[in-house]
Amino acid sequence: MSDAPAPTPPSSESASPRPGAPPSGDAPGSSAVSGSGHARPPRTLEPILQVRHLTTRFRTDRGLVTAVDDVSFDVKPGETLGIVGESGCGKTVTSKSIMRLLPDHVTRYGEASEILYRGRNLLKAGQREMRQVRGNGIAMIFQEPMTSLNPVFTVGWQLEEALKYHTSLGRRDRRRRAIEMLKLVEIPNPEQRIDEYPHQLSGGMRQRVMIAIALCCEPDILIADEPTTALDVTIQAQILDLMNQLKERLDTAIILITHDLGVVAQVCDRVQVMYAGRVIESGDVMEIFHRPRHPYTTALLESIPKRGARQHGARLPTIPGIVPSLWELPEGCRFQERCPYKQQACVDEEPELVTDPDGHARRCHFPLNMPADLTVGGTS
Amino acid sequence: MRAIRRLLASRSWRKFTSNRLAMASLGVIGLYLLVALLGFLGVIHREDTQVRVLPDQTPGFLEREGFTDRATDARWYLQRTRQRVDRALDDPEAYGRLMSELALAERTVIDVPLEEMARLLEAAEARMVEVDAALDVRDEVLDEQLEIDLALQRLERRRGMDPDERVARRAELLDERATVSARLPAADEAGIAAVERVKEAIAEFQPMPSGLDGLWYGVRTFLGSDAQGRSISMKALFSVRIAFQVGFVVAVISVIIGTLLGASAGFFGGWVDYLVMYLVSVLSSIPTLVLLGVLVYMFFGHPLFDNPAEHPGLALVPVYCAMCLTFWVSTCRVIRGEVLKIKSLEYVQAATSIGFGRLYILFKHVVPNTAHLMFINLSLLFIGAIKSEVILSFLGLGVKGQPSWGVMISQAKDDISVYFFWEVVTASALMFGLVLAFNVVSDALQDAFDPKHVS
Repeated sequence: MSDAPAPTPPSSESASPRPGAPPSGDAPGSSAVSGSGHARPPRTLEPILQVRHLTTRFRTDRGLVTAVDDVSFDVKPGETLGIVGESGCGKTVTSKSIMRLLPDHVTRYGEASEILYRGRNLLKAGQREMRQVRGNGIAMIFQEPMTSLNPVFTVGWQLEEALKYHTSLGRRDRRRRAIEMLKLVEIPNPEQRIDEYPHQLSGGMRQRVMIAIALCCEPDILIADEPTTALDVTIQAQILDLMNQLKERLDTAIILITHDLGVVAQVCDRVQVMYAGRVIESGDVMEIFHRPRHPYTTALLESIPKRGARQHGARLPTIPGIVPSLWELPEGCRFQERCPYKQQACVDEEPELVTDPDGHARRCHFPLNMPADLTVGGTS
Repeated sequence: MRAIRRLLASRSWRKFTSNRLAMASLGVIGLYLLVALLGFLGVIHREDTQVRVLPDQTPGFLEREGFTDRATDARWYLQRTRQRVDRALDDPEAYGRLMSELALAERTVIDVPLEEMARLLEAAEARMVEVDAALDVRDEVLDEQLEIDLALQRLERRRGMDPDERVARRAELLDERATVSARLPAADEAGIAAVERVKEAIAEFQPMPSGLDGLWYGVRTFLGSDAQGRSISMKALFSVRIAFQVGFVVAVISVIIGTLLGASAGFFGGWVDYLVMYLVSVLSSIPTLVLLGVLVYMFFGHPLFDNPAEHPGLALVPVYCAMCLTFWVSTCRVIRGEVLKIKSLEYVQAATSIGFGRLYILFKHVVPNTAHLMFINLSLLFIGAIKSEVILSFLGLGVKGQPSWGVMISQAKDDISVYFFWEVVTASALMFGLVLAFNVVSDALQDAFDPKHVS
């Protein structure tokens, strides 16, 4: 069981101003559903972001719909958390809930929901408080590089704007810093590119500029919402490499949202798999890839094309059926319709998210691939 | 500066400049702008439009063809001079004043003693005798023609006449008529020559101005005069200034109001949107002209805003107010729609995720992206305001105390039936040219600069 690659702990610990007080959300009853971080702390780093029982509902014409249901996780400095799942499983809503980017008038958060950033509950924060957190504390990269930059301003203007807002640098310093940031994200010829408009850049370059803008205020956490989906494969690899390097250089925690398991394997320390608004499995990346315990995760991994698979003459496995509609969720386990291991218990009762002693959490009555030294999961 | 250089190097600019029709129209607008500037600088002054430059309803460069019309003109000059000279003979004190009254803008009366003036006038009047003689000849010919025509009619009506005799008689009468008519061109020619000589004599005491003054007088008289002898060209050119003034003020204020309200409505939604769209629906449900009329009418009789004699500048304020209050609606609706679209785009969310405030995002990130709509609306409203100003003025609700195309059309509309069309045509043509040129340019601008076509 490999651990997360070590970030540079001393600097980040001294940078974290919060004294060791544990968050108030860590109530006794919630340990069973909390993220894996607490069960087996690999180092003494305080989590910088704690999401507790996040439930996000939307008011629609057909009534309230729960897009994210009771999601909890921690993010520590310098760590990369991957959130994986099919379209519509609540990945993006989770990230936008953290940033509070969802439209207020249609969004309702659960009463027990808490998003603690440095001890502050972002769900209760006012607009002004949120503005201080955004950019400085938590920054975000969006999925669509084509529309993520304002078409009427130059790249440099947009970089300098963020610097102007969050730092006290003078005009020349801001420009120098902007060029530095463009160099950091490996944009060739930054002195010239800085005065170009977004439409003069390629998709990959725009995505890099987005990363540069998000990183220029040195946020503690970077949320990357499918940062590579719109890019071709070689650019994807470059962007991921870049994010890895930046994480190590700036000690930024990254929440990477994707449906691409290959990307997860490449950059993440921990993974959280979501299905129909729920976290169904979370744990160390190697652990999940080698010994997935939830049948959904297993099926997902099996449906990745593998080298050599053709020689076996086998068809590429797929997961039968579709994700249940959020309005018509089944009683019991949400994956039951598509699960090959379905039993009566799965129909009767929805499993809790159980954290096994090795820190791996799964929401399944009958987990697969349990290590021999752990008792195979009985329910409740 | 950098922005301008970048603009000039851009593809959009090249696309715009390669549109020949647009460039020609831009030239036309430039000319209008020049004239408007002359108006603003006072080169074409409000008083220029109020002085008499010619006899009433003179057609200007078309120059009257007929001998009788020319004779009437010449007589007009002589009579008004005679009147004042006679009064000056009774009251020599008033001589200077009376003579300065005779001035037709640059065409002033020469400064000579009264006796000399009286002599020159008499000389001119003496030559008028030849004109009168020519007129008598003309009348005689016309009388004879009339008699022959009547005889022809009687001949046709007479019954019981031998057909051969009737034919012979008719041929005889027609021959006679032809010989009589043949005298007319010669008589007219002699008459016109006589009129020219009278004009020369008039020029002795009221010479045609020369040099720069002459040029300026030429501009004044180029398009003739209206029913009070005022220069149509001056009125039309001064109206360019009024049009630009109204168009510019109204377009800028309306676009600002429309953008602010529309952007707020689209961006903030909720009750702001509800309120703004309620206003928009109410205003657009009322016919624009009726609303404009009512709003202008509210200012009627106001000591400041309806007092063109003392405050000619403020007399336009009711027009501004009425148009600004009604014209922002179209801009508002368009901008709101665009903002609704833009606010859901990622870069707005990205700006939020950097930590900018909502107002900052609205004005720094969203509104600049509607700039193309603002410019198009600016040009549309500019034109719309000018057209509405003309219509309001035509109805007597718009510009007062100074000329405007609408006022000109309104004043001259009754005289079209007597073939006095220059004033209506001039005002309409100038307005048409401006509107057309503006529409062409704004179309070309949209083609070239719409960011959706660029990137």
